[in-house]
Amino acid sequence: MSALSSTPATGTLRIADPIGMEVFSNRLLTITEEMGNTLIRSSFSTNIKERRDCSVGLFDRHGRLVAQASHIPLHLGSLRGSVQAVLQRFPAETIKPGSAFICNDPYLAGGTHMPDISIVTPMFTDGELRFFTANIAHHSDVGGSVPGSISAMARTVFEEGIRIPPMLIVEDGRLREDLLDLIAQNTREPEERILDLKVQVATNDRGVAALHGLVRQMGLAAVEQAVEDILAYTALRLKMRIDELGDKRGSFVCHLDDDGSGGPPVPIATTVWVENGNLVIDFAGTGPQAKGALNVPASALEATVFYAAKALLDPQLMPNEGMMKAIEIRAEPGLIVNARFPAAVGARSITCQKVARSIFGAFREILPEDRVLSSGGDDLATIVFSARHARRAGTYVYLETLGGGGPASRRLDGMNAVHVHVTNTSNLPVEALENEYPLMVDEYALVERSGGAGERRGGLGLARQVTALQDGTIFSARSDGHKHPATGVAGGKEGATARLYRNYGLADQEPLSSKVTLLTLNKGDNIRIETPGAGGFGDPKRRPAEAVQADLEDGFIAPEDLALYGRSA
Amino acid sequence: MYRIGVDVGGTFTDFTLLNETSGEVLFYKVSSTPSDPSEAIRTGTRALLDEFSVKPEEVSFMGHGTTVATNLVIERKGSRTALLTTKGFRDVLDIGRQTRPNLYDYQIQKPAVLVPRALRFEVDERITVDGGVLRAIDMAQVDDLIGKLKAAEVKAVAICFLHAYRNPVHEAMVRDRLREAMPDLYVTASSDLLPEFREFERLSTTVLNAYSGPRMQTYLDRLSDGVQALGVPMAPYTIHSNGGLMSIPTVRQFPVRTCLSGPAAGVVGGAVVAGEAGFQNVITFDVGGTSTDVSVIVGGQPQFTSSRTVADYPVKTPMVDIHVIGAGGGSIAWLDDASALKVGPFSAGAVPGPVAYGRGGEEPTVTDANVVLHRLNPVTLLRGKLEVKEQAARDVIEQKVAAPLGLPLEEAALGVLRITNANMGRAIRSVSTERGYDLSTFALMAFGGAGPLHACEVAAECGIPTVIVPREPGTMCARGILLSDISLDFVRTHIAAATLETWAQVGRYFDEMRVDGGNWLNGEKVAPEMRRFLQVVEARYEGQNFEVSVAIPTDEAIDLDGFLERFAEAHRVEYGYVIPDRKVELVNCRTKALGLVPKPYNDFQATEAGTVEEALLETRSVYFKADQGRVTTPVYAREKLPLETTLSGPAIVEEMSSTTVIPPASKFQVDRAGNIIISILGGAQ
Repeated sequence: MSALSSTPATGTLRIADPIGMEVFSNRLLTITEEMGNTLIRSSFSTNIKERRDCSVGLFDRHGRLVAQASHIPLHLGSLRGSVQAVLQRFPAETIKPGSAFICNDPYLAGGTHMPDISIVTPMFTDGELRFFTANIAHHSDVGGSVPGSISAMARTVFEEGIRIPPMLIVEDGRLREDLLDLIAQNTREPEERILDLKVQVATNDRGVAALHGLVRQMGLAAVEQAVEDILAYTALRLKMRIDELGDKRGSFVCHLDDDGSGGPPVPIATTVWVENGNLVIDFAGTGPQAKGALNVPASALEATVFYAAKALLDPQLMPNEGMMKAIEIRAEPGLIVNARFPAAVGARSITCQKVARSIFGAFREILPEDRVLSSGGDDLATIVFSARHARRAGTYVYLETLGGGGPASRRLDGMNAVHVHVTNTSNLPVEALENEYPLMVDEYALVERSGGAGERRGGLGLARQVTALQDGTIFSARSDGHKHPATGVAGGKEGATARLYRNYGLADQEPLSSKVTLLTLNKGDNIRIETPGAGGFGDPKRRPAEAVQADLEDGFIAPEDLALYGRSA
Repeated sequence: MYRIGVDVGGTFTDFTLLNETSGEVLFYKVSSTPSDPSEAIRTGTRALLDEFSVKPEEVSFMGHGTTVATNLVIERKGSRTALLTTKGFRDVLDIGRQTRPNLYDYQIQKPAVLVPRALRFEVDERITVDGGVLRAIDMAQVDDLIGKLKAAEVKAVAICFLHAYRNPVHEAMVRDRLREAMPDLYVTASSDLLPEFREFERLSTTVLNAYSGPRMQTYLDRLSDGVQALGVPMAPYTIHSNGGLMSIPTVRQFPVRTCLSGPAAGVVGGAVVAGEAGFQNVITFDVGGTSTDVSVIVGGQPQFTSSRTVADYPVKTPMVDIHVIGAGGGSIAWLDDASALKVGPFSAGAVPGPVAYGRGGEEPTVTDANVVLHRLNPVTLLRGKLEVKEQAARDVIEQKVAAPLGLPLEEAALGVLRITNANMGRAIRSVSTERGYDLSTFALMAFGGAGPLHACEVAAECGIPTVIVPREPGTMCARGILLSDISLDFVRTHIAAATLETWAQVGRYFDEMRVDGGNWLNGEKVAPEMRRFLQVVEARYEGQNFEVSVAIPTDEAIDLDGFLERFAEAHRVEYGYVIPDRKVELVNCRTKALGLVPKPYNDFQATEAGTVEEALLETRSVYFKADQGRVTTPVYAREKLPLETTLSGPAIVEEMSSTTVIPPASKFQVDRAGNIIISILGGAQ
């Protein structure tokens, strides 16, 4: 906290050079944007290029996060684990110029799950290690028991693809082609892995070059001072938000329908309070680690907590060490949110969504009413179709994650059909899907009546119905929220739960559970998924009459719902 | 004969008048009339012709940039619109891409859907991916819907069916039946506007077109009546978002294509002016009161995109690729509760405006900081038309920025500018690194009222060695209209592996589009020798979901192998590598039909010039850097500066519509066309 000084006149803390700090933060963002642009522009995989499932960051020589451009919240701060693991395995004084490191393992290298591979590159000036540039990207396959490397049914990380501890991928300025080949040949698409990993290495090199430019422009001492300022400023800003919380304590419990292998619902319990100026988030009461792959490794739990704190307390807060230091996470080993090796973690994002829901719930008891949100349709349904390709050799895999109803607040109805919490990937257009795969979309629509009633209505979930156009189409799904709805707040009602059907509207219609593995569809069979709506905010009887009328005309609610809003048909 | 370019902005309507015989170019400005923008065009043209003693019948060309369609969308003042779409898909407009606009802030929402669900009607029809009719349309159902549309009193209808880009038969049937039954209804079918795959973006574009159509027609009628009443023999052209000109009948059909009208003209004009000055690689930097537009020109060519939004609604028609950030002269400086100084995104806009303009503004703005540091004239602006209240600007910066931060006044004001310049610099870096360009090989072309105030420091921030400031930078968009061609874009989507057979099909699509384009150019009355066609195939490797553009010149016979070679090269340039054995997939074929408009650029010469002494208006003590304090700086009148004479900074150059700030460590000269060319010698601040 050397950059903070106390001015006698006011007794308030202030930053050494607030203008220099703001200019500097723009320059840092310029560098992370340049790195992010390079990574997205040059990568081959749709996962990185279109879904932007990747992040870049800058660290100081101690491994403190200085700046991050995160394209999905589930990566917030998640590069820290990689950089710390590298520094543990390769102490700073042993790191040489012309090197770069690679890692992915959740247990050995602070990874988030196997498909997320990190590259970490040191930056030197005058022969001294000064900074690291780092990036992480979701590769579409890293080997393991199923294409895509993620199966809710996996029992251990050994089924989830190649495990990479921190290793040198670039040494003395030369790419280690042998290691690159070893990694690539352990995946289903070696050519694409090699392309994308080379792009990741080049991305960090761009960041290093930009950092050199910054040091030339400002001088090293000024850069290092500005780093201290920026971390101190962020810490100060979060401290003020934390101090406003006072001594209240909030708790909340929500449930996963099951742990990924059937079984009873799993509670996700959160209690939040302020202790010694830090925000404590305690998961005591949360269920044990899962047999399946719904377990959350440490860096994914941190990312989820950081996301929730930023969204609830200060959406503009810069993601850096200054923000993260003041947040303390308590989770006993052996919980689903802190699994022991070698538990599988591939499908951690389903649990992370419930962790976010639980934290948002706990904050309802300590934040002013105008800052809280109802629970949203946050079940992160993932559907996967695969079969022989219609137009070319090989097998296609069509994977899509679906959004749900957006949360309602004091001021606004929830948005319809959006991703909530840790991800925000876009859909595949129907016309693109039908061009690419032997599938046909029968309907893509909002789920009527799915938004929880309230003075502000919860957002509506969405429905997608897909018919297989050839025999032997294999369908899998991993989802949640079939049993436990998104709850309302301040008197708002709950949203509708999720549903999954085979052959909807046909003679042999059947409901399916939220986790489906390798179901075979014949030509003409369909799958229909309906994602949950969000909870409402406030007493529905206080919803303005014209809003109720508009909802009725638009079919968002039906005449039989009018009573809930205190009106007669 | 004379040519007139008009750009209608939020505050001013700018005019550029070119004398085709003498090459003289004149600039003029009147206040805009937002309730009926054609009024300012009419009265301004009248005044312009009077002022320069030009007879209306001497006007050989008139083109204009308009924000009418954009404003209808931004202000949600379009017409009551219904949507007819394929059964099962009426909510696609609401679902969009299922993403939330801000990752962390749930108070920032998707834009309101322009067609309420109750007015989104489903039609039981289905075309398949290969264009086959799976479910034929039942016209009795359409007749039933016509009754509902009448009852709902809609003014416009958008029609968008799945895969209509492949087979428009159902859309055409519905369109024709609607026009027959409801002749006053404004109807847009997606296959007429944008026959391209990806349904949400096509749907959104089609809805915006229908939504803005009826009122745009009213505006165009008033405009052409008004211009005709003046005695001008030419119907005015409109510049559209791809930087080309369209006649009024085309704009009536496709108003959504005008959404980026004025800014696109600025970029097109910037490319021509910079090119003539010897600069092929240019970043255009257009700074106004509330926003900054940044665009990249490579090899003299503006870059295009078809993935832009207008007021957060996707618009898929090809547009000049302009990146907009919310930083301008009106951006407000403020302190957050952790004592960090921020500039923007809030803006004082034109009203109440900066404190220094005395129109009721109470918050410190970027303009106020420029006044405090004497970079802007602290007495009057706009050649004496606008009084500047320096003391008020000093007071507000002192009270709201300097005192709370414990800084001297000048350092605080400089801080506001440093932060603004860093924001702007970041936007420039972002658009250039997105495509992998090296900024040290570019020049920065500054225009808009405030561009030349910031350009030199922003260039230094970004490592750009040269700044170009055209004459009267505040009216660059109006001037750009005189440098544009007539053009319209056509597209066909056909997703298929590149084979001899599909490549032959591509040839047939281009043949078709040349016929369509030729017919359109006939309507625009373009002479045969002035016609050009630019052809592009968008393709990708199998498994990719994004395309690269491959130019297919009309004067070369390119076979499949030739195309594949060009594709590989384009992929290497765009992404840095090729994948030798992977199959290539064809996606879109695009044709731009061009009608060349004579652009006597060489006539754009600086006609008056004097000596340095004659140009000197005064000296002012201007603050550039904290360690230098105030520096005695000459202030010059732009039009009197001698041509091709190298001068050193510091200097301030004033003209009617803008002020150029030239910092100490730089050299500059005025070229033969009247552009100021500045070499940045020092490093960044």
